[in-house]
Amino acid sequence: MRSLLNFLLRFKTLILFLVLEAVAIIMLSTSHNYHETVLYGISRNITGFFAERLERGTYYFRLRQVNQELLAENILLKKQIAGLASGSQEGFIPVRDSVNGVNYTYLNARVISNSVNKQKNFITLDKGSRQGVAEGMGVASPSGVVGVVVGVSRNYSVVMSLLNTDFRLSASMKRNDYFGSLAWDGINHRYARLSEIPHHVAVNEGDTIVTSGFSAIFPAGVMAGTLTGAQRRGGDFISLQVLLSADFKKLTDVYVIGNLTRDERENLEKEVAQ
Amino acid sequence: MNSILRYAGAFVLLITLQLLIFNNIEFSGYVNPFVYVMFILILPVAIPSWILLLLSFLTGFIIDLFCGTTGVHVFATVLAGFVRPWVLSLNVTAEGAEAEMSPSSYRSGLRWFLIYTFTVVLVHHLALFLVEIFSLRYFFQTLLRVLLSTAVTTFFIVLFDFIRPHR
Repeated sequence: MRSLLNFLLRFKTLILFLVLEAVAIIMLSTSHNYHETVLYGISRNITGFFAERLERGTYYFRLRQVNQELLAENILLKKQIAGLASGSQEGFIPVRDSVNGVNYTYLNARVISNSVNKQKNFITLDKGSRQGVAEGMGVASPSGVVGVVVGVSRNYSVVMSLLNTDFRLSASMKRNDYFGSLAWDGINHRYARLSEIPHHVAVNEGDTIVTSGFSAIFPAGVMAGTLTGAQRRGGDFISLQVLLSADFKKLTDVYVIGNLTRDERENLEKEVAQ
Repeated sequence: MNSILRYAGAFVLLITLQLLIFNNIEFSGYVNPFVYVMFILILPVAIPSWILLLLSFLTGFIIDLFCGTTGVHVFATVLAGFVRPWVLSLNVTAEGAEAEMSPSSYRSGLRWFLIYTFTVVLVHHLALFLVEIFSLRYFFQTLLRVLLSTAVTTFFIVLFDFIRPHR
């Protein structure tokens, strides 16, 4: 007994070290359901509070860029309006597209905390459940896809960034509709990879990559990025390097995209699958 | 009592600097300085090792909480706190360490402090980046991130050591 005590006293530093590292490893291994823990909810509210005030201060320095993005989007929308007007003039009857058009709602939100330098990056927004944000909603900036909401508190929400090695997005090539899976490889915040594209597909540098609309998160055709031309072969598929259209380092204003018929669609898909 | 207050002040200041400034340095994704490690470095030479370990744990835990990571920083800071006494004893200077003294370039010379800081920060960053990516894929990119970040962190810690008050 005495020698046991002596042993413990002699190695108390080593034992404490091992115990603390064991705690760290347990924390690491439970990290996948971390976003549901109470602790993180509390810390999210505290950090959200500070981050929001900090963001308010630095926002003014980015107004020029925010304005440019909004202008670019306005021009795009104006072009679409012009296209719609000329279409109806030519005698087509405008049909309200119930599949693509009216099923999505948009809510604008401000990014109050963001990172691009980790392997698993998350973004905090200044809108939460009080404003109707729910888990699983898509998030896009005026220039492109940003991520998916993974956690919501009353006034804030946390978005899994596209720059998160766990993130997968069903995306397709706008020119020929071949689709694959868009994911980040954790190296450079400007580039992601579109994998599972068959060999025979002709790809050009600069081809546009958009969301496929196969998941209920994003509507089809939301801009994601452009091909850089670099590709890697593996098995029956090639994976293509994609230059992301959203610059995650300068993210300020985003849209949270809600799908009004998501439950209906997912229930149907689940029913059929059973 | 007075020194406990001073260390508490340093703790709050370093964590604030880390969260508000250094976490936002995103220079090409390869340079992510974690200057808060300085808190572990400047604790008194003769601090009991179990207190050192507990304080390291606390530091990592608070950073983890605010960064939204789980255990990544805790793992790295506890390791840094564990190796610190060894690095101190390997590099012990001729005049001997006073118990209350805080390791600094002011007392022990720039060269000594530089080696001491670089070694502990390297251990911390190596553990941090490897645990964060949790695989040996892209090993050399990770190694490059570790070395560049270690260099920048060391630079800032030595700089802060120059301007902090030495009694």
